[in-house]
Amino acid sequence: MMDQQTTQVLLIEDNPGDADLVRLRLVEGKSPANVNCVNRLSDGLASLKVETPSVILLDLNLPDSRGAETFRRVLEHSPNVPVVVLSGQDDEVLAMKAVHQGVQDYLLKSDISSKHLERAIRYAVERQALLRALEISQKQQLEFKNQFLSHVSHELRTPLTCIHQYVTLLLDGLAGPIAPDQSDHLRTVLKSVNQLHAMIRDLLEATRAESGKLRIEPRCLALGDLVRQAVAMLKPTADEKRIGLEIGIDQRLPLVHADPDRVLEVLINLVDNAIKFTPPDGSVIVQASLVDADAGWVYLSVSDTGRGISPEAKALVFDRLYQDADSVDNNRSGLGLGLFICREIVRLHEGRIWVSSEAGQGSTFTFTLPVYSLAKLIAPVITDQGLLRRDFVLVRVELTALTSPPRGNWKEIWQQALETLRRCVYLDKDLVLPPMGTSGAAETFFVVASTDLQHSGVMTARIREQLERMPDLKPKSGLTIMAATVELSPTAADESLEQQVQNVADSVTHMIVSSMERKQSRGRAN
Amino acid sequence: MLKPKILVVDDDPDLVRALRLRLRANNFEVSTASDGYAAIATAQKERPALIILDLGLPVGDGFVVLERLQSSDTLSGVPVIVLSARDPQSNEERALKAGAAAFFQKPADNDELLNVIRVSLGPGHTQHAPWPS
Repeated sequence: MMDQQTTQVLLIEDNPGDADLVRLRLVEGKSPANVNCVNRLSDGLASLKVETPSVILLDLNLPDSRGAETFRRVLEHSPNVPVVVLSGQDDEVLAMKAVHQGVQDYLLKSDISSKHLERAIRYAVERQALLRALEISQKQQLEFKNQFLSHVSHELRTPLTCIHQYVTLLLDGLAGPIAPDQSDHLRTVLKSVNQLHAMIRDLLEATRAESGKLRIEPRCLALGDLVRQAVAMLKPTADEKRIGLEIGIDQRLPLVHADPDRVLEVLINLVDNAIKFTPPDGSVIVQASLVDADAGWVYLSVSDTGRGISPEAKALVFDRLYQDADSVDNNRSGLGLGLFICREIVRLHEGRIWVSSEAGQGSTFTFTLPVYSLAKLIAPVITDQGLLRRDFVLVRVELTALTSPPRGNWKEIWQQALETLRRCVYLDKDLVLPPMGTSGAAETFFVVASTDLQHSGVMTARIREQLERMPDLKPKSGLTIMAATVELSPTAADESLEQQVQNVADSVTHMIVSSMERKQSRGRAN
Repeated sequence: MLKPKILVVDDDPDLVRALRLRLRANNFEVSTASDGYAAIATAQKERPALIILDLGLPVGDGFVVLERLQSSDTLSGVPVIVLSARDPQSNEERALKAGAAAFFQKPADNDELLNVIRVSLGPGHTQHAPWPS
């Protein structure tokens, strides 16, 4: 290491005369300087990899790079080392461009005196250090703010929990009988408590999203269930405002690869917003559909008959803390974080979210989720030596808890169940699909088996026997196993293997989706 | 039938009072503790059927209590339900790994909490229905 007084200079200059001049100027100066001179940009960048100089003196026109490109590449490579351009051209436009991109100074070779150069280097080093300190402090402040918000949202929960407990105690009559009027008042308090709770949750979610800590756990998912769940949760709010809440689900809807809890969060946010901004007697419709021109994505949209969103606002609604001016005037609740959180969740799924609207005509929020590619997954097990196997059976295994189970432990149990299932099949010709359940209390598994219905009996018997042995499942859960032949649409003689696989995947998807639908309607009938 | 005893561990006396009222109304006997040390001592003395445990506690936080309970021959079988204001994203898995039966973030839904209490207490406390075949 050099002593700290010595300025380490990396001079990138291809003209030997100019290089000597700079060296001379630095030697003449009062403070000691150590000059390492290279004549190509690539050599300069290589040297920067090995050691960090105090300053880079940079000629722009080098054998391997010219003009603005030269400083762009140096700044990109070493953003924390101060750069002073030494140029032969008095080009103010280029000089400004250099400074805007982060160059500390732009000197004309013809103007350089010893004193001048020394001072320029000293100031460049100082400015760079200040800039760096500012960056670090900004980063720390962001970190501090996020920690603070996270802390605050947890601290707020303690008194909120207390209010929630006592209000529900009174409402449930556990502190003595209450009059209908009083019960009404308490319900109003409870509603506000729930609103406050939602805001605290949003605050934490937004903080997480901002600091990159929002996580998703995508799985194989049938969307119909989720849409109905979101709509059911918000039906009372809609009814209160006499707003119609409808669902439209495309019958061909494939499975998606998404995090059910997070997608539900997005749907609830969008539907809640739609209800909020729709006047009484209006309507809100939630749709899940396929767009032919955009295969590979499922489109989910929430449309309302509200007053719409202005073109200026359209670009801003997904920004953090955006508040519609009218919504502030009308004292509507919300922190302006909901759509920001939605955007971040959709982004984590690599989907898109946007709004289309015409003033006075209502608005439609749409987001996309990736289709779960069953074809890719099942191709290896349903083909053999380049040919499609003959028969396929889809086995459905449904495990249901009879009462609400402890949340976390079930996850582990379902994982065990999945492993048990895998032990019951032939790995080269059968496939256990990822779990399908959308709530912790119930889980549905599907197995695609390369066999016919008659022979699948051996497998289902083995599955039953093995699952019934799982100690955690036996007393607390019910088990149903069903098997059905995968009916394939007739194939043309010249169909490629890929098309045949897709055909099987489509049929299996159709069977899974409709069986989940049936389960849903059965659940509602109960 | 004997009422099952639940030990509520939380340093917020107001919340403890409310939980006591609610649990008593649901036919449970309730004892309480307001710090980590008292939690272990009370659990050893009173042998509760189930423990509701806050994480942020004075004198040994909830995780210390969980660890102590798990390493005790007499108490390791007692189901523990964690009820905490802390972020589930960073605490739920840790609590479950440390032996908790369930994790609830405050404020928790009363019905959900009672349901999990009944399930955790095992057969006899749950309202079993036959599985439709």
